[in-house]
Amino acid sequence: MKRLITMVAGLSLILSLALSLAPSAFAIPGRPSPARLVNDLAGTFSSRQAEELERVLVAFDDSTSNQIAVVTVRDLEGYEPSEYATRIGLDWGVGSEKFDNGIVILVKPKDRTAGKVFIAVGYGLEGAIPDAYAKRIINEVMIPHFMNEDYYGGVTEACKVLMKLASGEISELREDEFDEEDAGAIAAGILMLLIIVFVLVILSKAGGPGSDSGPGSGRGRTIYTGPIITTGRPYSGWGSSGGSFGGGFGGGFGGFGGGSFGGGGAGGSW
Amino acid sequence: MKKGLTVLLIVAAVVLGIFLWVKGAYNKMVTADEGVQAAWAQVENVYQRRADLIPNLVATVKGYAQHESETLENVVAARAKATQTLVDPSDLSEEAIARFNEAQGELSSALGRLLMIQENYPDLKANQNFSELQAQLEGTENRIATERMKFNETARAYNTLIRKFPDNIIASMFGFEKKGYFEAQAGAETAPKVEF
Repeated sequence: MKRLITMVAGLSLILSLALSLAPSAFAIPGRPSPARLVNDLAGTFSSRQAEELERVLVAFDDSTSNQIAVVTVRDLEGYEPSEYATRIGLDWGVGSEKFDNGIVILVKPKDRTAGKVFIAVGYGLEGAIPDAYAKRIINEVMIPHFMNEDYYGGVTEACKVLMKLASGEISELREDEFDEEDAGAIAAGILMLLIIVFVLVILSKAGGPGSDSGPGSGRGRTIYTGPIITTGRPYSGWGSSGGSFGGGFGGGFGGFGGGSFGGGGAGGSW
Repeated sequence: MKKGLTVLLIVAAVVLGIFLWVKGAYNKMVTADEGVQAAWAQVENVYQRRADLIPNLVATVKGYAQHESETLENVVAARAKATQTLVDPSDLSEEAIARFNEAQGELSSALGRLLMIQENYPDLKANQNFSELQAQLEGTENRIATERMKFNETARAYNTLIRKFPDNIIASMFGFEKKGYFEAQAGAETAPKVEF
């Protein structure tokens, strides 16, 4: 009996282990942290090139909300490029949740095996970038560069075309998402303040003469001048961050938005 | 008297607790069930997309390869069968999905054979329209793979939900059935590959 129990327990342990391992069997690189749009896992770009590309793509994300993620890998682990790129798009959530306007450019440089490239297009951009366009970008723009080992040139040229196509479809200035929240917080703060003032006024009135409500109400006044200053602060913070975004210098990538992919796009090899 | 009131309160609390639990679990299952049905609708969409490409493809091939009438007829017949194999979205049982998968798998292999014959017809291979259709077919196969994967993931989440204790009691009470998965068919379901 005891042996049976240990056997069952062992079996269930193995089973649960197998189940928990199952998802990670799909060797898609995890979402980068901190979030980046250029993920040169194969080391094909120089660090300056990667920075420059990142800057351009982040600026494009800020101005149009379309996200283009560039991923290079040494090995596709036996997966189809289309599957691999679509998986990255889905797992990382490239593009915004509202528009599904993400693009994943996956490049596996040529080594002993053939080079592979795939452009995965999010649901929302399938109209702006049909498979045939993606195919043409790969065959006419990327692969000629790639054949000369010019990976940076091929990717940047492709990004230029993709940016033009994508911004024709969706071109929404990325708003600082916390703007609205800040406005809400400020409104809530003001409301709170009003309530506090109201309560204090009532209390001081109700306290009446005789009790030592005088100093109490005086203290109340100092309390409620405080919150005005703190609610004022987010404004200056937002202003300065807005400035750095406008300058487009070191603004940083705001993170992936949760866009979805349906397998659109095209691939090629050389 | 006071004791009676306490008992009544306890009973009321228990009843309320059970009600809240049943309500929460039931509503979660309804949401998950809707999710699976939505994922299924996407699967049908992409398969329909493929079916819509076929008449054009067949017409193009016919112009170049009259001697391949058997291959062409096979594709047309498989397409007819596949589009007739409908699945009721409210009954996504294992058998229903297997039947659907089989019919679509037959179409996949018929299509694979059709694409193979281009090797014997250089004119067909060079035809712009044909290569365009082939690219579209390839894109559709990618979409099919993606939507099947998404369906399987959604169905798995649903199945886990309805089979976990104690929610499985509610699932069986309200008749939430286990959903089937897409199983990869050996060879048949992989996209027709044409190597150049």
